[in-house]
Amino acid sequence: MRLFGSTHIDFMGKRRYAYLFSAVIILAGIVSLVVKGVTVGIDFLGGTELIVQFQEPVEIGDVRNAMTSIGFGRAEIKTFGSDQDIVIRTSTIELEGGGAVGDRLREGLTAAYPTNPFEVLKEDKIGPKIGAELRRDAIYAVIASLVAIWLYIGFRFKFVYGLGAVAALTHDVLLTLGMISIFDGVLNLEFDQNMVAAFLTIVGLSVNDTVVIFDRIRENQKIHKTMDLEGLMNRSINETLSRTIITMSTITAVLLVLLILGGEVNRGFAFALVVGISTGTYSTIYIASAVVLEWVNRSRSKGKLIE
Amino acid sequence: MQKYRFKILLIVVSVALAVYFLIPTYQDYQIQKDLHARTGADSLAFLNDNEADIRDARAKRIKLGLDLQGGMRVVMEVNVLKLIEDLAKNKDDVFAQILTQVREQSRTSDESPVLMLRRGFEERQIRMSRYYGSLRDDNDRVFDYLDGEATKAIDRAIEIVRNRVDQYGVSEPAIQKLGGNRIIVELPGVTRETEVRQLLQGTALLEFKLLKEPEIAYRVMEAIDKAVAADTAATKDTLFALAADTTAADTSSIETPEGELSPEEFKRKHPFFAVAIVNPQQFPGEALVADENRGRVRRILDREDVRRVIPNDVEFLWSAKPRFVDEGKRYFTLYPVKASPELTGGVIVNARATIDPGFNAPIVTMEMNSEGSRDWARITGANVNKRVAIVMDDAVFSAPVVRNKIIGGSSQIEGMDNMEEARLLEIVLKAGALPAPVQIIEQRSVGPSLGEDSIRKGLTSALIATGITMFFMMIYYRTGGMVASVALIFCLLFLLAVLAAFKGTLTLPGIAGIILTLAVAVDANVLIYERIREELATGKTPRAALDAGYDKAFSAIFDSNLTTFITGVILYQFGTGPVQGFALTLMIGIAASMFSAIFITRVIFYVLTDRYSAGVNFG
Repeated sequence: MRLFGSTHIDFMGKRRYAYLFSAVIILAGIVSLVVKGVTVGIDFLGGTELIVQFQEPVEIGDVRNAMTSIGFGRAEIKTFGSDQDIVIRTSTIELEGGGAVGDRLREGLTAAYPTNPFEVLKEDKIGPKIGAELRRDAIYAVIASLVAIWLYIGFRFKFVYGLGAVAALTHDVLLTLGMISIFDGVLNLEFDQNMVAAFLTIVGLSVNDTVVIFDRIRENQKIHKTMDLEGLMNRSINETLSRTIITMSTITAVLLVLLILGGEVNRGFAFALVVGISTGTYSTIYIASAVVLEWVNRSRSKGKLIE
Repeated sequence: MQKYRFKILLIVVSVALAVYFLIPTYQDYQIQKDLHARTGADSLAFLNDNEADIRDARAKRIKLGLDLQGGMRVVMEVNVLKLIEDLAKNKDDVFAQILTQVREQSRTSDESPVLMLRRGFEERQIRMSRYYGSLRDDNDRVFDYLDGEATKAIDRAIEIVRNRVDQYGVSEPAIQKLGGNRIIVELPGVTRETEVRQLLQGTALLEFKLLKEPEIAYRVMEAIDKAVAADTAATKDTLFALAADTTAADTSSIETPEGELSPEEFKRKHPFFAVAIVNPQQFPGEALVADENRGRVRRILDREDVRRVIPNDVEFLWSAKPRFVDEGKRYFTLYPVKASPELTGGVIVNARATIDPGFNAPIVTMEMNSEGSRDWARITGANVNKRVAIVMDDAVFSAPVVRNKIIGGSSQIEGMDNMEEARLLEIVLKAGALPAPVQIIEQRSVGPSLGEDSIRKGLTSALIATGITMFFMMIYYRTGGMVASVALIFCLLFLLAVLAAFKGTLTLPGIAGIILTLAVAVDANVLIYERIREELATGKTPRAALDAGYDKAFSAIFDSNLTTFITGVILYQFGTGPVQGFALTLMIGIAASMFSAIFITRVIFYVLTDRYSAGVNFG
């Protein structure tokens, strides 16, 4: 079976539309980030998170009243997958008079629902120091992976290709972050450690795509010595188009399975990856290659030869 | 076939090895299934008969992370600062200043507190030997001494925590040192979080302290009350003065008889006694504080001006449990005690949780060594009819009156809510006291049902994802797709085997990593097959197209997988727990997929083209 014959699409010629498209989406994401932000998990904020499963469904409002009556009116309360599962999150771990916040929350729930017993599914307590450390480590991890990829691509190809790859990755990370902010609330997304893992995976898989096209450009450069870079790029992208789309579709299919069936814990992770992988494919063509093209064109016009 | 003998042998050996490493995991699964089917005595007999097998299979199976099997993960920090403070002699204001500075810094920094202390001293150009070691020691020597003490304290703390966990009875606990002064404790299957906290966090420092005589206690508390009242009155006076036209009414007079005061007035004139209730008839020599007021009392006792009026040998300790509950309010007792302990827990040689037959309440009985017994006899003999507080980690469990001299070194702790609590106390007393306090800075617990649910959902998604991928590949690439599917199964086999062989841990994000690996593995085959199709289109023979396809696709596969692998390494470095599980399966998966998707499929194609050259089809 074949879905694509040989194509001759002028990808590079349309790159200015792509710039506009990317700029609009990223801007929308940034606006959403500034206005609405993302729900940051307690991994990074520190605090207590309690997830309980009641035997019978409960009303969020009632749970809130119960929490207010024990002095946790400002706790964040929401459902976790069903009406029986409730997440309660506070920013503290110690009570003022000593003792653990988690114990108090559980006591409060027991008192409020004497006939509807619950089971603790998950209880996390993150001290402020750990929260700060995890935050710092997450930022280091993303930066370290970008630098490592720049170095590797720069070494295997050329410096400017590394630059293109990193520009594409930064684009993917920003765009996905914006999307998470926009869809936060609809999908119960949360920025936690799993999300950082998702971002690094996006980085890894997106550069995977980029490398495949760069590899083809490198190969075509040897065969078609007289062709200009724009033509080479178009040719390489067209030649690998079939692979790009098939791989992207399989990965997306696999991730959709994870998004739908993988449970609450993997949801944010799968969502970030679905968005990230799609943008990764797009950015390989329009950001990674385009940045290389613009850079080379500009240096040429200044009379410098990069190649 | 002949030509590929070695390659085929390599594949067969690696598959055999993989199966060998996965057998214990399968056995463990079967045993668990068998156990579930049996009940009561039957399952006990089954356990006895197969004990060795069960243990062996457990030890070698793929380890499941706490998020999948349920359990608790606790990160504790040993308070090295407290140790440093305790070791110092001739402490003065300068020392306190430096210590406060280091304490501030350590809130945000991972650096060794000993190092920060040294810097603090050197900035002020003070020799550390003023407080540690002998006067002639230079800073290097004192630093080494303190550093050594800190390391020793942490190692000893780990040992004691391990003792406690062992006695508590957890199967397969993991206790590790993390960084300079942290301990990670992982307890699979344990979710009773209050209990575990008591078990791990308490230093288990047992002390016997004499209660202050009621008259002295009152005098101290009155002084505190006056200090606080004077302060509030002073503020008020200034406020009145500012408002001008001060009336002659003297608001700071305390000599007014108490009976005439309204509750508001009493609150204003006796801010301390308003929250710390005294009742000389019923509770001589102590104060009662409602739970909601404990924070305020603590703050009052911490105040600089209040600390000045408390004599040096007096300190205030709280009761471990509420004394009684009245109108829904829980009242704790505040005990004024003599600061230096008469005896400490070091003399305890044995402890046992039991039920006091007289009161039908749980107690822990303790035995002391001969030296302790002698001291105890002397102390009790000298303090007949006085009260001794039995203090554990600065909380008073009971404060009985000494009736007569106790010979033989026996003592007991009362005031536990239930037998479980008594048993925990027994464990920590037996395991010994921690050399420095530890603080839980991170604690995660996952209930068993969430874990089971996660496993089920994770495996279902993995199976469906594999099915969809294989189905698609077979339709799109025909023979090629079938071969790729076989490679995919090998890839999964290798991944799990490596995980089992190197005792890696499978977590929920780890399962997501496996699913992602599938996609990466398939991508390698897609790259190769697309290349082969291109080569076939130029009119090459199947065999030549095969070779060209594999050779030309290799650099792209290698480069792209390596970049993904790099992010995996970084993630493993920076991540914790479950996220590391993800990075681990991703890295193993990439390596396994390179072997299966590139090497194994190629050998299969060679064999196939040699036998039925017309049958190989890339769709």
